[in-house]
Amino acid sequence: MQASLEMMGETEIPKMGLRTLVRRAERRHFMTMLALMAPSVIFVALLFVIPILLFLFRSVDNAEIPTLLPKTAVALDTWRDGEIPGEPVFAALASDLHALKGSPDAALLGRRLNFAVPGYRRLITRTVTSLPGTQMASAKETLAAIDKSWLDPVYWRTLKSQSGRITDFYLLSALDLQRGAGGIEKVSGEQAIFMSLYGRTLYTAFGVTALCLLIGYPVAAVMAAARPAVANWLLSLVLIPFWTSLLVRTTAWVVLLQTEGLVNKVLLQLGVISEPLKLMFNTAGVFIAMVHVLLPYMILPVYSVMKGISPVHLRAAASLGANPATVFRTVYLPLTIPGVAAGCTLVFVLSLGFYVTPALVGGPGDQMIGYFIAYFTNSAVNWGLASALGVFLLLLIGVIYLALGKLVGFDKLKVR
Amino acid sequence: MTRSFGDTILATGTRVGLRVFTGVVLAYLVLPILVVVPLSFTSGQLLVFPLPGLSLQWYADFFSNPLWTVALRNSVAIGLTTTALATTIGTMAALGLHNAKFRMKPLVMALLVTPLAAPVVIVAVAMFYFFATLNLVGTYAGVILAHTILALPFVVVTVSATLQSYDPNMTRAGASLGGSPIYVFRTITLPIIAPGIASGALFAFVTSFDEIVIALFVASPQQRTLPRQIFSGVSESISPTIMAAAVILLAVSLALMGVMELLRRRSERLTGGINKQR
Amino acid sequence: MNIKEKCRVGVSGLAVMLIMSVVSQAASTEKLTVVNQGGAPGDAQRKAVFEPFTAKTGIGIVADTYNQELAKIRAQIETGNLIWDAASVHSLNESIGCDEGLLEPIDWSKLLPEADFKAVGGFGKCGAPYLVSPGGLVYDAERFSGNEAPKSWKDFWNIEKWPGKRGLPYQPDQVLEIALISDGVAPKDVPEVLAKPGGVDRAFAQLEKIKPHIVWWKTGDESMQLLLTKEIAMGYGWQGRVNVANRSNKRNLRIVWEAGYTSAVIYMAVMKGSPRKQEAIELIKYTLAAEPQAHYAELMGYPPANERSFALLSEENRASQPTKFLDRGMMQAGDLYIDFWRDNGDSIRQRFSTFAAR
Repeated sequence: MQASLEMMGETEIPKMGLRTLVRRAERRHFMTMLALMAPSVIFVALLFVIPILLFLFRSVDNAEIPTLLPKTAVALDTWRDGEIPGEPVFAALASDLHALKGSPDAALLGRRLNFAVPGYRRLITRTVTSLPGTQMASAKETLAAIDKSWLDPVYWRTLKSQSGRITDFYLLSALDLQRGAGGIEKVSGEQAIFMSLYGRTLYTAFGVTALCLLIGYPVAAVMAAARPAVANWLLSLVLIPFWTSLLVRTTAWVVLLQTEGLVNKVLLQLGVISEPLKLMFNTAGVFIAMVHVLLPYMILPVYSVMKGISPVHLRAAASLGANPATVFRTVYLPLTIPGVAAGCTLVFVLSLGFYVTPALVGGPGDQMIGYFIAYFTNSAVNWGLASALGVFLLLLIGVIYLALGKLVGFDKLKVR
Repeated sequence: MTRSFGDTILATGTRVGLRVFTGVVLAYLVLPILVVVPLSFTSGQLLVFPLPGLSLQWYADFFSNPLWTVALRNSVAIGLTTTALATTIGTMAALGLHNAKFRMKPLVMALLVTPLAAPVVIVAVAMFYFFATLNLVGTYAGVILAHTILALPFVVVTVSATLQSYDPNMTRAGASLGGSPIYVFRTITLPIIAPGIASGALFAFVTSFDEIVIALFVASPQQRTLPRQIFSGVSESISPTIMAAAVILLAVSLALMGVMELLRRRSERLTGGINKQR
Repeated sequence: MNIKEKCRVGVSGLAVMLIMSVVSQAASTEKLTVVNQGGAPGDAQRKAVFEPFTAKTGIGIVADTYNQELAKIRAQIETGNLIWDAASVHSLNESIGCDEGLLEPIDWSKLLPEADFKAVGGFGKCGAPYLVSPGGLVYDAERFSGNEAPKSWKDFWNIEKWPGKRGLPYQPDQVLEIALISDGVAPKDVPEVLAKPGGVDRAFAQLEKIKPHIVWWKTGDESMQLLLTKEIAMGYGWQGRVNVANRSNKRNLRIVWEAGYTSAVIYMAVMKGSPRKQEAIELIKYTLAAEPQAHYAELMGYPPANERSFALLSEENRASQPTKFLDRGMMQAGDLYIDFWRDNGDSIRQRFSTFAAR
């Protein structure tokens, strides 16, 4: 930039004035820099931000029902909950359903409604296949003859509450809530799984973070206090698991923790235990493996902060007669807080989203939100619910970032 | 200089205790990983110690089974392409961010590093839906693009950090001597920040090479990568061949870590030297 | 070599890699891509079916694996981005996939003799049954022998007489059915009882009785490990797994067929809109023929779906089959069964996971 400025300088400065020139050069410089940033920004916006937003939108998206049952959606506008709708509504439904005859859309509609009321799928399939034609004396009687369920307000309530373009159904489901006759209510105890899922996810993340801090803090302190050569070696040892594939580490733990695994064999031979411990497919296994995976994320930021603490402060405090515990509490600990906050944020946020490790070493009761997102995406094909769980997981993470991020700042998240 | 708490004021007993504790923790960190190494050389079928004998049969199995060799080739190809893509645009972005002054700068930086903060499972599922509409699920392009998103923040952050310690006077000096911006960049800036770019590239490669969740959602059998092949093996039954695959993955990771360490030292030397002249 | 040269070599290497991967992808599209469950059954299918089929017809086959995730089929159909040509689907997915237009409807009775497949429930609207996977009460014959051996699911529930843990799969299907059998329901009546109001509650109540003694397992491999290591006294297990476990560990695990068992039926179906529909149909016809069926049964131990294959089995294999107790088997197929699980599967799975985690 400066070079071009000088080259132009000889001929053009007199005409335009220096200020304009500098401004123009600055603008050109800025545009060049913008052009350099553009590919990455566009790339991330297009392939990361948009997909995530589209994914989150699925938690409220409800295109299927208004598209497949357009007349019914309109006709139901005037319907009041608690009563059986009149002939026009039945006629609208009969006509909508008749149009779905022989198309896979009937099955899609059934699947969608079955999320809300089990058995709705069969009601739709049966009604669609048994509808005689568009000409009928009374649509109400015809539908009721095909299946008495059409005289039950529950099915109409579901239809009505699901007939908008936007639905709160998935978000409510992900909070163990549903819309009943009297508005929003809790689902029955047997069906309520999500609140305990968040509880379990938070509990695991808290537990793993606390363990990492308890174990990692003293280790980081020893590393920071070691001679540079030794510290370099210790750092390498911490970096080895850090660089090793998550999958290799998890595989190793599967081998070690199995009932027939190495840990049990050694403990049995040493006589510490008399029968093998159950270390895998339970909470213990998840904690052992997750702490192992995440410990470097705690040690590294804490260590880098500790390394920067000048020993002068500590000596000063000690020379004034403070005992080690007091020096630690009043001088050392406060100085290390930024590192601790960074480490805790990292470990906590990373563990909230864990999926692979619990899937391989955890038991049925140890799976976290990530597992259920994958489950509802792949196996249950309930994409709205998968997305709703994603919304709450991201909300949790957002809250943590806001709370702790103020203390740390994004630039501290440098470690791999 | 770096001695902080321990040596300064702690009693010897506490100090020794802390060191023993550190030793135990480091053993917990490293030994479980190393356990796969001897097991991959077992001559038996079962993953037990003591080994019945040593043998290379599981490596032979690995390299003769197309499932594994294709997975290895895929991992390397996807990793290299991801690295090239992420390093190029990531370095450009870091340069742009470093040299431009504007109010939105922290926001752009935050945008570029958010893929690090989002849980991979959400990224993977979101990309699965999005790529499905673009016909990118089950293609090399899909996996590479997704991996590039995950690798990009590492490049941006690493190169930005290197640029922090780069002395802008070097550029000015070059420019004042009549070099064009591109010439100055190529002959002065690039060689100095090269170790940083290389570190970023290594991070990018390892990110892609070790990645499993995206591979589970976005890839199809044609793009089956090494981690994905190991994953399906582990969730079914663990054979010694999986140990051999794990050792290969481990060896690549450790080799890259070694290169990284060398780069870090070199970079410290280079920028350290410049800073002294200042 | 200076840096510039190195870069050049690196870049050209990359280009070669890219081209290679693109080319290899293009080459593989010339072949038929078939997805199955992988693992030991996948290996057996490759040896018994795919390889001889390729030798006979010259049509190459690429095998992929999945865990019956319907989403993976749906994503391909909805985007018109077909990766697979034929898929192995269990009965529930066959029914859903067919209704929702994910699989090609094919009248198999025109292509194959239907009578040979009557025993496994006949053809589906889209799929043809190629594999039966029975699962029953398994115990270690070295541990319990003679009169001490458990003989019924009632015995499975009898913790006093047979102390120890019980292994069950971590999934409601098959488990609820077994709970009903242990409560005195005849295996063939199970789908009806389960679908009736109160049927599910009855099954859960029965499970509740032995809940503290249940070890839930997630993979077939694990189900056998639990038995081999004597961590459980008895468990539910699939026939093929038991066979492989006995063979490779020289053990004597036994399935109590007469106690009643469940029998999953797996189908092969053509993906909707596959450009290689004809080749896929040929492959499925070959898969269901008597000889490959018998070959597969020898490798995996599962009974063949084609009845005529029984005659081709070895003496030893035939003895291990539940042929004598066909009336004690509950086929996981049929409209009643499929409709029940399609309507209630999601809510039952939710209830099951809270039940198991409690």
